[in-house]
Amino acid sequence: MQRAQPPRGLYLHVPFCRSLCPYCDFVVIAGAAAFGPRSRMGGYVSAVEREIDLRASASVAAFGALGGVRDDVQRAPLETLYLGGGTPSLLPAEQLASLISRVRDRFGLASGAEVTLECNPGADERGDFTAAVQAGVTRFSIGAQSMDVAALRELGRRHGPDDVAESIAAARAAGATSVSIDLLADLPGVTLESWAGSLDAALALQPDHISVYALTLAAGGADEGEGSVDDRLATPAGALAWRRRAAAEQDEERGAQELELLNTRLPAAGFNWYEISNWAREGHTSRHNRLYWERASVEAVGPGAHAFDGATRRWNSANLDAWEGALMSGELPPGGAAAPISDRDAVAEGLVLSLRMSSGVDREAVVAAGFAEALDWGEANGLLLPHPEDAARVQLTMRGRLLSNELFSRIV
Amino acid sequence: MSNIPQSRQRNFSIIAHIDHGKSTLADRLLEATHTVDPRQMTSQVLDSMDLEREKGITIKARAVRLEYVASDGLTYGLNLIDTPGHVDFAYEVSRSLQACDGAILVVDASQGIEAQTLANVHLAMKMGLHIIPVLNKIDLPASDPEAVMNELEETLAIPREEVILASAKEGKGIPEILEALVKRIPAPSGPLDAPLKALVFDSHYDTYKGVVNYVRVQEGRLKMGEAITMMGSGAQCVPVEIGYFRPQHVPVQELQAGEVGYVATGLKSVRDARVGDTVTTTMSPAAEPLPGYQVALPLVFAGLYPLSGEDYPALREALEKLHLNDASFTFEAESSAALGFGFRCGFLGLLHMEIVQERLEREFTLQLIASAPSCKYQVHLNNNKGEMLINNPAQLPSPNHIDEIREPWVNASIVTPTTYIGTIMDLSTDKRGIFDGMEYLDEKRVVMSFQIPLAELIVDYFDQLKSRTKGYASLDYVESEYRVAPLVKLDILVNGEPVDALSTIIHRDRAQSAGRVLASKLKELIPRQMFEVPIQAAIGGTIIARETVKAVRKNVLAKCYGGDITRKKKLLEKQKEGKERMKRVGSVEIPQEAFLAVLRTDAD
Repeated sequence: MQRAQPPRGLYLHVPFCRSLCPYCDFVVIAGAAAFGPRSRMGGYVSAVEREIDLRASASVAAFGALGGVRDDVQRAPLETLYLGGGTPSLLPAEQLASLISRVRDRFGLASGAEVTLECNPGADERGDFTAAVQAGVTRFSIGAQSMDVAALRELGRRHGPDDVAESIAAARAAGATSVSIDLLADLPGVTLESWAGSLDAALALQPDHISVYALTLAAGGADEGEGSVDDRLATPAGALAWRRRAAAEQDEERGAQELELLNTRLPAAGFNWYEISNWAREGHTSRHNRLYWERASVEAVGPGAHAFDGATRRWNSANLDAWEGALMSGELPPGGAAAPISDRDAVAEGLVLSLRMSSGVDREAVVAAGFAEALDWGEANGLLLPHPEDAARVQLTMRGRLLSNELFSRIV
Repeated sequence: MSNIPQSRQRNFSIIAHIDHGKSTLADRLLEATHTVDPRQMTSQVLDSMDLEREKGITIKARAVRLEYVASDGLTYGLNLIDTPGHVDFAYEVSRSLQACDGAILVVDASQGIEAQTLANVHLAMKMGLHIIPVLNKIDLPASDPEAVMNELEETLAIPREEVILASAKEGKGIPEILEALVKRIPAPSGPLDAPLKALVFDSHYDTYKGVVNYVRVQEGRLKMGEAITMMGSGAQCVPVEIGYFRPQHVPVQELQAGEVGYVATGLKSVRDARVGDTVTTTMSPAAEPLPGYQVALPLVFAGLYPLSGEDYPALREALEKLHLNDASFTFEAESSAALGFGFRCGFLGLLHMEIVQERLEREFTLQLIASAPSCKYQVHLNNNKGEMLINNPAQLPSPNHIDEIREPWVNASIVTPTTYIGTIMDLSTDKRGIFDGMEYLDEKRVVMSFQIPLAELIVDYFDQLKSRTKGYASLDYVESEYRVAPLVKLDILVNGEPVDALSTIIHRDRAQSAGRVLASKLKELIPRQMFEVPIQAAIGGTIIARETVKAVRKNVLAKCYGGDITRKKKLLEKQKEGKERMKRVGSVEIPQEAFLAVLRTDAD
């Protein structure tokens, strides 16, 4: 059951940002390295091209050439490519085009593949939407975070609500198939009213897809993660201080009400809930993210990127120098891999991921896998209900979505 | 070695307050006499338990023989019997001292003498031990040897000429101390040809050798091959091994009068070879045993429960095993409506309780919940129903069956700089203490005496004393008597259900405020649950305080980190571990800290 599979998607991490946001735990390099005469973008692009080559060769060695069949598994081209960051929209247009075509050459990109580019909305960071679409991007994920001026300032963002509107308009004009925006809930200093206002303003822009994440401010920042290998960067002291202060201004009750509001506003605006943090209009779910939730094989390149081949989770070093240095001398970058997990743990992991989605899980299958107790507990506490369209399945209730960790921590 | 004659044996211990440098001094003595290979020298050799090193205290007595070539050119056997330094373990000190002929008194030259040290020195003097006073840490800028020498002269009548100035850290004074051990402490005098009398001053259990008794041979010889009898228990055995400590075991054929060492008995139960018993030979036994010890009685009681009910047999086994190495705690099976099956354990004090719990958890990988600690009460029932002793508040009968309740009192003495006299007076009278008097050690320091209920002392008196005097005051206490008091039971209801393990017995006048404080402390300590949980404090069925733990509203993970499932899983596993550390009472998960909240019922 835990068998390595050829990748169905590829994640490409672009670590550069114009400036660092204090709440962000992703692998990000900001300032002079990201922009201007001392930019490291050029070196990065050369290195990531090499990594694409090396990972593709390894893939061919493991699973055979594209189109071939090995062990009854057909080697198919990628269904999705996701350029995440960081701020991938900082990539100059020609380099973006060259990276996408490199991926197409080495891994293959299926016809109709989803190619997502994450963008920041600021005028100096959103990039050229038309060039991006010409390079092959089909979907833009725009990091709006909020439509509230004060909240954006508090978050240290460079953009305002107008920039979000301009970005969406530009993406549409460029012919994007799908436009998504990210919003953050439970921000310090907001009220339920300002949240509702921000949400309505976002809906007025008519995106195809909305992701809403509750701001999580772990005391130790990203350093609380697993792995002795440097698959994440230390959180700067200033950011930690910001988080301590911001965490004090968060409110569990208000945060819960903000998320509950989504349940009424979004369906009314034509969005379907399909994953704990995600809503989409018909036909606009994120295919790449679904691969993660379906526990499918996804390759990954770039510093700090995480991959899964269906059996093993591995990651690259987050250290740009170490990552780039290895690649430039022709080697795979340093990194780490999670210890193999038992079949039971793999099932548990799959269960937790499936339960995140509206499709939920098959009740009998869960019972057969030995997780009846967690299931009963979830039902008894109003976290799970039969799926409205398929009585054999269960899905999270609204309450279940808010309290999903209470259930998941009984499964892992 | 056993070829050192009796006239060149010296048996001594070190009396010191915590942090006054006893362990460092012991290390220096070991080094100076080449007892321990310098390459194997870890700091504080004698504190071998991890817990001892972590807490900076000695829990168990330990012995080691130093071989010292004195200025007269002869080799002496110096037997150091290490003693614990915390008030909870005072009984171990008296045991160790009984095996000695002299003691080094270590006093921090910047701090002066402390309460327990004073008590221990008095004890040593009463036993006729010769005292070698050492002022340690004279290298510190804050040291004031003159003042401390005055203090020793005034309070203990120790002439300043006898005082050795030392810095164990820098090795100063060590040669002088070694010479003083030889010259000032008398050699042991027991006859070698008399029937064997050896005092058991400690013991531990070894899987292969059975109970290993630490002995001081007072008279006669303890030999391999000669059957021995424990005069108290009557148990007999042939020694499996005899030897002395360096500090590891060094087997020998014989220990003779005056020597300190061990005898492995092969016996499987410490009850057969108790501390304080006298070892003699089976063939020609001594007529009378040695005086022995008063058995240390537990003062503090608490229930220990496995987090998961299925660990109950494992807990029983662990308690039995640990008891072989620490006979000073007691345990008996009990059950709690809230916590299930467990054991009511008796401890010498709160620190002892903490140590036993930690050892059970570490050495036997158990997860435990301790109920609120209590002392032992005498409950006089009405209608001629007699008297009952209870050490668990849940056992207290309802007030209409009770004639009167008596609680244990102690006599406490506190050594403190004069600056804190007022604050200690306030603290002690708040805790129902009765001031008995005050004696000046010198112009800056006093000994204050109080009578105080033990229940108040085991609640947070000691912590309060430390924090209010910035650690400058020290405390010693001895049990005195039982006295009648208007005591009531304070019950706690969680989610409408009384939780017996959270009940406490408390003075009527303090019950109202303690109930309110406890309910609000519990509100902070019990994490949010899936539903709202009311917490109530009640006295005799009347609710006196109510708080509510709100329901958890939101517990959801943030954005997936570029497919980084490992980090999500880590977080979920952390939450799972947190839950596993809690005890399920009814449908509410309660963490360990909540059961100890009763120790902190002062409003702050």
